[in-house]
Amino acid sequence: MRFVSFRLATSVLATTALLLIAAAPSQAQTRAETLRYVTGASVNTLDPNIPGSTRESFALSMSTYDRLVAFGRKQLNGKWVFDLDTITGELAESYDVSPDGLKITFRLRKDAKFQDGSPVTAEDVKWSLDRCVTAPILGKAQLLTGSLTSADQFKVIDPLTIEVTLPKPDKLALPNLATVYPMIINSKVAKEHATADDPWATAWLKEHTAGSGAYAVESFKPGEQVIIKRNEAWNRGSPGKPAFFKRVIIQSVPEPATRANLVERGDADLVLDLQASDVQSLEAKGKLKVISTPQYNAITYVSMNNQIPPFDNVNVRRAIAYALPYEDMFKAALFGRGSPLFGATWADGKPANGIYPFQQPLKLDLDKAREYLKAAGLPEGFSTTFSFNVGQAATAEPMAALVKESLAKIGIKVDIQKLPDAQMSTQINEKKLPFFTEGIVAWLPSTDYFYRNFYTGSQRWNYSSINNPDLAAIAQEARFEPDKTKYEEAGRKLNAMHFDLMPQIMLWQPNQDAVMAPSIEGYTYEFHRQVDYRDISRK
Amino acid sequence: MVTTGLGATMVRAGRRLLSSLPALFGVLVFTFLLMRVLPGDPAVFFASGPNAGKEEIEQIRKQMGLDKSVPEQLVFYLSDIGRGNLGRSMMTGQPVLKDLRERLPASLELTFAALLIALIAAVPLGVLAALRPGSIIDHGVRLFCALGVCVPTFVSGLLLIYVFYYLFGLAPDPTGRIDVFTSLPPQRTGFLSIDFLLAGDFEGWWAACRQLILPAVSMALFVIAPLARITRASMLVSLGSDFVRTARSVGLSWRKVVVTYALRNAILPVITIAGIVFSTMLGANVLVEKVFSWPGVASYALDALLSSDYAPVQGFVLLMASLFVLVNLVVDICYGIADPRVSIE
Repeated sequence: MRFVSFRLATSVLATTALLLIAAAPSQAQTRAETLRYVTGASVNTLDPNIPGSTRESFALSMSTYDRLVAFGRKQLNGKWVFDLDTITGELAESYDVSPDGLKITFRLRKDAKFQDGSPVTAEDVKWSLDRCVTAPILGKAQLLTGSLTSADQFKVIDPLTIEVTLPKPDKLALPNLATVYPMIINSKVAKEHATADDPWATAWLKEHTAGSGAYAVESFKPGEQVIIKRNEAWNRGSPGKPAFFKRVIIQSVPEPATRANLVERGDADLVLDLQASDVQSLEAKGKLKVISTPQYNAITYVSMNNQIPPFDNVNVRRAIAYALPYEDMFKAALFGRGSPLFGATWADGKPANGIYPFQQPLKLDLDKAREYLKAAGLPEGFSTTFSFNVGQAATAEPMAALVKESLAKIGIKVDIQKLPDAQMSTQINEKKLPFFTEGIVAWLPSTDYFYRNFYTGSQRWNYSSINNPDLAAIAQEARFEPDKTKYEEAGRKLNAMHFDLMPQIMLWQPNQDAVMAPSIEGYTYEFHRQVDYRDISRK
Repeated sequence: MVTTGLGATMVRAGRRLLSSLPALFGVLVFTFLLMRVLPGDPAVFFASGPNAGKEEIEQIRKQMGLDKSVPEQLVFYLSDIGRGNLGRSMMTGQPVLKDLRERLPASLELTFAALLIALIAAVPLGVLAALRPGSIIDHGVRLFCALGVCVPTFVSGLLLIYVFYYLFGLAPDPTGRIDVFTSLPPQRTGFLSIDFLLAGDFEGWWAACRQLILPAVSMALFVIAPLARITRASMLVSLGSDFVRTARSVGLSWRKVVVTYALRNAILPVITIAGIVFSTMLGANVLVEKVFSWPGVASYALDALLSSDYAPVQGFVLLMASLFVLVNLVVDICYGIADPRVSIE
């Protein structure tokens, strides 16, 4: 047996190198009509209702399915964002809300067809909404926040009219129908794949689509990429026109540096999840378009568990609130890319308005912090742990170091704990972490919604585990308050209580940095914090 | 009883395979228990929609079979395995077996390519170093090896991307096995470089190879060192032995002495190390897979581990254990071919 000779080995290496250099980049002709979007996450199901579905799956379903209604968009500081207050028809041609607010009647578009060519009927709408509130899927908990809980509430009037009945006039009922989950499914197709165990065809819809959306799925490789192609018959965006791009490639690229390289080289058209440092350098180079929108429905907190000593003492919480180096944290974690929720000045000591989240009058003031610690009976300080999850290490790690350093100055010894994501969520759910940083997002950001979901009850999202009956009662009452002035008054009251009780500290709203090729237009910050591919076009 | 050489090898291989079954079973149970002991409840993690509450968590727990006691879960798990069902991944929403079957060829193709590059580079380097110990060549090889080992694979990977893709634009974009705009060949082996050849699509084949070069080289750089060092050491022994001296004294050509006699005798430990290196690479190439968005099994397992997705991790460990057994078997057989005197009972 002879072994490979040196000459052969070197010639193989040399040829490979030569070929590598010689080959020209191969480009398809349809490149301009194709949108290539890269992301660190991935699509794991074609039905966003499946428990465990990712945000990328939410975004995909916005393009593959239609809903009855959709959010409009508005300009916020010169950037397009979704508008919770403008609800436009999507499959519905028009809708009417009865004067008492208890009935919403939707009239469907006559020209709307599913991707298989069959017309969209009120029966399909009813089946889809019934599925959303009946099947054991994610839509159930979401629609609950809009008083939509039972199949009896949806009534077919005629093939193109459907009526939704509400037990109370709920402001969030209509917006809820524009969220990800209540998508309209082709019920004839879905029913063919339903089984006795699975009457709502959840297993089949996970891997197939049966919708009327702007795009149809061409190929779906979970964890790698999804390719969708345009539905030429779709005209729910601009009248008489389908979506702009013929194809959209949604590709998972786990390494953030690689994503930055791809978009900078022009191989990818659009990316959302780059590291703040990369965004900054790409913006400085000026070759690409960078649209930074404060995520006005998301908040990053430093949370304290109000049930665990010493954080059950309000003065300890206030001491912490005055001992955080906000400015430094904001720079170190986000490179200043976001809207701060600290450093306000309240002239009369009262919140300026009733909108949550709001800027609190907090700044680093160690003397004040020491006073509060003394008032809490802990002048010598104490020891605690500060936790964050691995997935957020890029922003949370520098922040944690600053928290530790600053709290040491008032005698509080902090051990930093970096937890794997699943472990962190488990411990938060079990209310075991005393002191940590986490974020939240609300699809339908209204003051009462924030307070009801993030400051009451024993569920996971009440990070601070605050249990204040007054606060809960005001928030609950505000939910059904039709009078705008009274609602605003309730909001002010809640915000004042937040500052007084200091259950947790709002830090900032991080920016969503969308980096795109200069030719890309129409990017809008959506409630699901992903790209709506229907918004985008190329110059 | 006298058996032929090949027959003996086969019998030995069969016996080896049988004796590894208890170990595989042990790995199975151990991984299962380990995943349950780890803190982190997958149900809570996956119930992360903006409104997911207790009900959703229970729902997922039931779906994953976590509402039963651990012994019960183990029995279900083992009977599932017996029927060839590795469970379903929460992360990708697919059966684990399907995921692994799609991703294993990607990992294998990358690892084989890397090992090939490493061997092609390491063996000549080791031989050269052994022929002139202490010379400038020897030191050069040592420096090169040290550098290769010192630089972690993701650093060399990012460097290669920076130079060949970002600066010079020679390499294709480092996103997976094939350019997104190239259509895939009909799947036969799962190895793109083979499937494209079978389909007679040379342009596609070339595209696949171009995607493969950078990740394979960055992995190879890391394992050249052990291979080259072991080649050098065992060549030194073999070059100093009696038979080489005899061969030289009877005036055989340089080539015959070095390649036929010395190298063939020195190659056994290299095969052993190559086997070990191969198995380690398959599991440890997670960083390269991440950097190059390579859809392989290692990055799949890491993502699953971070989100406490039990089924894929268990499936991955089982797969790795089986591969280890197979690789050891192949190494044994290679021994027999390289040196007929070897018979490990």
